[in-house]
Amino acid sequence: MWETITQIAPYAVAYTIPLLMGALSGLVSERSGVINLCVEGYMLVGYFISALTISILQPIMGNSALLIGLIVAMIGGAIFSLLHGFASISLKADQVISGTAVNLIATALTVYIARNVTGSGNISIMLGIVRSDVPVLHSIPILGKLLFTNTYWSTWLCIAIWAFFWWLLYKTSFGLRLRGCGEHPSAVASAGINVHKMRYIAVMLSGALGALAGGVMIVTYSGEFNGSVAGLGFLAVAAMIFGQWKPLGILGATFFFGIATTIGNVSQLFASLSSFPPVIFKVFPYAITLVALVLFSKSSAAPKADGEPF
Amino acid sequence: MKKFATLLCAMLALGSFVFANGQSESAASSETTLRVGMVTDAGTIDDKSFNQGTWEGIVRAGEDFGFTPKYIKPSGTTEADYLAGVSDLADSGYNMIITPGFKFETTIYKAQDQYPDVKFVLLDGVPHPGDYNVVIRDNTVAVSWAEQESGFVAAVAAALKMPNSKFGFVGGMEIPAVQKFNWGWQQGIKYANENLGTNVSIAQEDCLYSGSFSDVALGQQMAATMFDRGVDVIFAAAGGVGVGVINEGKSQRTSGKDKWVVGVDIDQYADGLMPNGESCILTSAMKYLDRASYDMINDELNDAFPGGTSIVLTAKENGVGIPTENPNLSAEIQAKCDDVYKMMQSGEIVVAAEQLPGLWK
Repeated sequence: MWETITQIAPYAVAYTIPLLMGALSGLVSERSGVINLCVEGYMLVGYFISALTISILQPIMGNSALLIGLIVAMIGGAIFSLLHGFASISLKADQVISGTAVNLIATALTVYIARNVTGSGNISIMLGIVRSDVPVLHSIPILGKLLFTNTYWSTWLCIAIWAFFWWLLYKTSFGLRLRGCGEHPSAVASAGINVHKMRYIAVMLSGALGALAGGVMIVTYSGEFNGSVAGLGFLAVAAMIFGQWKPLGILGATFFFGIATTIGNVSQLFASLSSFPPVIFKVFPYAITLVALVLFSKSSAAPKADGEPF
Repeated sequence: MKKFATLLCAMLALGSFVFANGQSESAASSETTLRVGMVTDAGTIDDKSFNQGTWEGIVRAGEDFGFTPKYIKPSGTTEADYLAGVSDLADSGYNMIITPGFKFETTIYKAQDQYPDVKFVLLDGVPHPGDYNVVIRDNTVAVSWAEQESGFVAAVAAALKMPNSKFGFVGGMEIPAVQKFNWGWQQGIKYANENLGTNVSIAQEDCLYSGSFSDVALGQQMAATMFDRGVDVIFAAAGGVGVGVINEGKSQRTSGKDKWVVGVDIDQYADGLMPNGESCILTSAMKYLDRASYDMINDELNDAFPGGTSIVLTAKENGVGIPTENPNLSAEIQAKCDDVYKMMQSGEIVVAAEQLPGLWK
């Protein structure tokens, strides 16, 4: 059993990371008061831009193309998210509808460009990140095997980003203002702070994070842009709600999703798990989410001004 | 001398008559306007798999026989979408329609009645209304392949390359076309162990169907887990899931491990290329889709369209096999594989298309 867990753990962590970045993308935006249902769209844009950038740069510059691909994707995502920002902040449009529209545009636009660039809808990169053990830490008993063996460097980058956002939201005045915009924007405005500007910043950060989530998929397990992130963006939104709009909460929620999906994927490979039909593992996280949403609906911690134009 | 001249004149006259006649006939046949269309399966026309293979055959036939083919990419992958694609072609005058993939089975079942004047070629499936009560009308040909023979020779090649190792199999959905690859693969391993002195094993828990043809992450995770516990060669017959397997194969080889992936349907060597110029694709278990679509068009032009039948292409027709060039195989291994292939062609080796006792599902 222990061996099973240690074998699965690295892949569960790898699968969790795009979800974590996606959920964080939703969180940053919603804590500033802009509903974010377009994580899927942001991810798709990042998925596309990183694949395109890396497929062009990799033959020239080798492995550093991967990092550049991620950075370009984040910049592209931030710019793309201005669509959602402009509609929902400046034009005061319905944010749910704007988010849905952004998702539709992202799907159509990326596939359209991809088909024109490569002739097909697919853009594949030659080689993603090669996994390695973390020096020193991987020899720690128990934890070393679970967390520090067989990892992607992008995983550590994303966890650092997650920690940075936790710090940003809770330990800085910028974070306090941003959260204020989501709870009571007029109070923030009365303190002389430009709510629109704060929300624009939050939406752009959110776009960058969502695109990073897509980029991470390319450089870790996917390796090919194929026009769809398979609903991971919506799963990330669900994880954000399950995690009650809190960084620690979404870390737990996404890890839970990641591990359950991974177990579902590989359960057939292990004698100890193969007696269960894999579909049980795959449905499990969604079923738990529904139950959790019902249980927490009374005490939901959604930002109070979430979705209200200012 | 006079006689000879007369004879010569007569022969020339006859010759010119014959050739002129031949020419006018071929001109007439190109005026019979065979118009060939194709409806693509899920994925793009250059999907390095079914669509591309089929289309290449049609294009080649178009160049040889002088027509301009056309393909339609349906807006979705439901029966209604496919039927709309078929109707678009049929209504705009295409009288031969080629469709790749088992997902067209129910579509062609309906279309063959709807358009009795159009010739249909269904690759890798048989027309039925959804319950496998097969009905093939006179205007339809169902082509399938002996996947087991393809998997068999790929297994022999892989076993010779890695004589003391563990093999695995990752399939897509558990459907006959995939299962036959799997069973051929296992029989090939057995054959190599018994006749070619290899020592290859395949465990039940390394012989799996992922249940999907598109989930890349699933393929990567399954392959990574298999490689981690000592499997050396994975045969991926799983569409997009196979992309994940190949991706993982690249990653393993780049970190210096001697792991391989065996491709499927077409020569996937280029898909496994890594920055160092090598490929993680050992060889590929191929079906020659291009040859099938080419041959069907050729038959139609010669009034020999085998309508109403279902054709199985085997090694005998050169319909399956491994690529003729395998940069990761030595000439010696290639030669041995050619021998095995010839034995399959002559019937000396018979590969079963079902789960023989002793094979995993």
